[in-house]
Amino acid sequence: MSIISIASPDSSTMLASRSLARRVFDKAVASPGFRAGAAIFIVLALATALYPELSGIDPVKMDIKARLLPPLFEGAKWSWAHPLGTDQLGRDMLVRSLVGLRYSFLIGVASVIVMLFVGCTLGTIAGYFGGRIDAVIMRLTDAQLSIPMIILAIAVLGVSRPTIPAIVLVLGMSNWPVYARMMRSVVMTERQREFVRAAQIGGSTDLRIIVTLLLPLLLPSVLFTSVLDVARMMIFESTLGFLGLGVQPPTPTFGNIIADGRKYLLNAWWIATMPGLFLGLTLTSINLMGAALERARDTVHAGGE
Amino acid sequence: MALLELRNVTVALGRSDTAKVILEDVSLSLAPKEIVGVVGASASGKTVLSRTAVNWLDPPLVRRSGSVLFEGRDIYGMKETEMRGLRQRISYVGANPMGAMDPTLPVGAQIVEKMRAVMPDVSRRQAQERVIELLAAVRIPSASSRFHDYPSQFSGGMMQRALIVDALVTNPAVLVADNVTQPLDVTVAAQVIRLIKELTDQFNTAVLFISSSLPMVREASTRTLVIDRGRIVEEQATEALVARPSHPYTRELVSQTPKIWRGTETLPALPEDREVVLSLRDASQTYRVKKRSGLGGVNLVRAVRNVTFDVRRGDSFAIVGESGCGKSTLMRLLSRLELPSSGQILCEGKDIATLRGRDLLDFRARLQLVLQDPFGSLPPRTSIGRMLEEPLRTHGWRDREKLRARVLKVMGEVGLAAELYNELPLGLSAGQRQRVNVARALVLEPSILIMDETLSALDQAEQFKLLDLFQKLQQEYNLTYIFISHDLAMVRKVCNRVAVMYLGEVFELAGNERLFFDPGHPYTMALLSAMPTLEDKRYKPEDCLLEGEPPSPLSIPTGCSFKSRCPRAMEVCNGVQPVLTVRHEHDFAACHLVKAEIPLIEDSVEGASA
Repeated sequence: MSIISIASPDSSTMLASRSLARRVFDKAVASPGFRAGAAIFIVLALATALYPELSGIDPVKMDIKARLLPPLFEGAKWSWAHPLGTDQLGRDMLVRSLVGLRYSFLIGVASVIVMLFVGCTLGTIAGYFGGRIDAVIMRLTDAQLSIPMIILAIAVLGVSRPTIPAIVLVLGMSNWPVYARMMRSVVMTERQREFVRAAQIGGSTDLRIIVTLLLPLLLPSVLFTSVLDVARMMIFESTLGFLGLGVQPPTPTFGNIIADGRKYLLNAWWIATMPGLFLGLTLTSINLMGAALERARDTVHAGGE
Repeated sequence: MALLELRNVTVALGRSDTAKVILEDVSLSLAPKEIVGVVGASASGKTVLSRTAVNWLDPPLVRRSGSVLFEGRDIYGMKETEMRGLRQRISYVGANPMGAMDPTLPVGAQIVEKMRAVMPDVSRRQAQERVIELLAAVRIPSASSRFHDYPSQFSGGMMQRALIVDALVTNPAVLVADNVTQPLDVTVAAQVIRLIKELTDQFNTAVLFISSSLPMVREASTRTLVIDRGRIVEEQATEALVARPSHPYTRELVSQTPKIWRGTETLPALPEDREVVLSLRDASQTYRVKKRSGLGGVNLVRAVRNVTFDVRRGDSFAIVGESGCGKSTLMRLLSRLELPSSGQILCEGKDIATLRGRDLLDFRARLQLVLQDPFGSLPPRTSIGRMLEEPLRTHGWRDREKLRARVLKVMGEVGLAAELYNELPLGLSAGQRQRVNVARALVLEPSILIMDETLSALDQAEQFKLLDLFQKLQQEYNLTYIFISHDLAMVRKVCNRVAVMYLGEVFELAGNERLFFDPGHPYTMALLSAMPTLEDKRYKPEDCLLEGEPPSPLSIPTGCSFKSRCPRAMEVCNGVQPVLTVRHEHDFAACHLVKAEIPLIEDSVEGASA
């Protein structure tokens, strides 16, 4: 069938209007919250990536003479060599915290990705197809929810060695049911909508509808909650480390640094506090950026621009 | 003296001087036992007017000036307690019956609650008796057991009647009815209007009847006001207003109301031997629904029963019927969202149930659907261009430039500006959104378009524009349309062939002229008589208006499924189910009267030539 063009598009106006994603991003970048968050995040990222190597300080090197030095300007014995003090074995706290941040962040993000992947996949399938598939998946999540995380961790990590992939897997597997349930309920309501039917009439397969229509609509809000879970997973990793099931010493992670620092909390508070400070900074920066993006998305999508 | 009087009322959206004015200098009065109609297009301020009249303006709406007098006293000047006492005398019924009640409490209990809130001295038992009495008065069958039912167990029409009870239970002097008939089917709407008229006699109630449909207002009211963009532009006795509108806006309103029997334009004649593009052979759909009570056991809901018809290329085929008649199920069968439980649907000779892979995709490209709801049918966070590209991508288009060119071309054809390409559907009006919907169906260059109540959410002027667009597109691309609709006036204007459905069956299948001038089935005639128009009725509602509602599809009666509501039911209808019988070569009706060759109305032959 040949088509006679009635209105030929004016290409100059086309180029002027920016795509949606671009508009959201530009708007977010313009907000002070995003800039502050990004600044903190970049400083932290550069520091963790470069400082341990550049300074040449080995995070596991002991120096008994310089043990339990306080951070800068605290007490009498502080030194420029160890800006955040040293721990009970004289290891530099700044380097240990930064290296610990590497591991903790890696574990936090990786386990959230596992969690999101498993949870969203199963939840979406359950919500979209419903019926028997839904029943099976939901009973599976019930079973998963009924196993306490610590017991699961002890069972898995006690049998295999507590390597980082194993820890990521345990953390991810113990928390996916929350996401499965969340995705299931929103997918269930969205799939009844007329535009899903329109896509079916257009010939889209179920997979196509899920990937191109439902996920872009639902994932952003899920992702935003999952940023908070990065923090939770980092803390869970500390719990595991505290129980001796985390990353094994001498590799520093927030978990085992805090576990060590607990014994010296009264006379060397900084050992247990510094990892917390870095954790707090990281999460604040991520949340600032996330919140700015979310706000920008909402205003653009609500017709604010 | 006027019972309710609005004097120079101005209402704005906010207090600032630049705030948008919704109502400007509106005055009207309502005498006891009078029904006054207010008619206007959407967004003309009708709902704000009705709320102003009952002292229910929520912020940011602010009454700037003017007063509302009830029996001579200003209701905006009173204390809140006094106003609450007055609620007993002023009642309000809204347009959305399904959302108006708490779904977790029985209907009766909620009405009793409302009654006792404004009349605290009435005992619970007395209130209950009164509510049951009124439920019976608005013809809700077995009112005393319905009293204990929940809102979800009421149909839309019944719920609207329950809300009228809710408004009348305190014996009000004034009832403000805001677009009450809008969500209802024509036969039910006609019942509700008749009910409101009876009530003014029975309970001495005056009614302010607000509606977007002039024919509907004409049915109900004796005096009519026309509102346009917040101003009352004309006020006359209803009949005079229809016959001699003086304001240009009213003239436009009257001329835009479609004519059914006196229309001058006729549809272009189509040759009879065109190729059949879509053919239903005994198509049926049965759903299995779990029984509410007891363990296990399923009810069989026969939503579509043995439907057979052909659609030819170039046809504008209409499927009409009230809600619950199986239109939507039939739409799902035609568009292959569901497969029929028995029978076949052939598209260009091939059974669509057997299509797989490539063939199915081809079928999808050939048959497209334009959905009803302009808001729910567009994904809220996808830009319009992306939305329109999606079907093409599904069908294997990859080249970005080609995609964009094709989408922009279709957008131009349906009248969407190219600048909308990167925009979200957010700020668009309902009419614009429906254009996006049409564009999404058209990008695949289909040959058959199914319109599922596509125009029902739009107001008259917008409907006209889209219908013109449809006709233009049809001529250009030789499209075949299937309109699924309950709007007979629209069907009369554009469709050359009509199937009337009732309880999943096709009752009548006929050409446009035949159906409207010489219906072969009592149900068709009832639909035509219930249709609000500005013309003299061709069929007297007294002769053929239906009582009650269709029986539940769970228990379809034996014999003719229409017999319980049919004014012409006979002995034979009890036992024998009528089948579609040929009358006048190409037309069919499923009624025993046709077989017996008894005309529906004696003078039909003379009347037909009018």
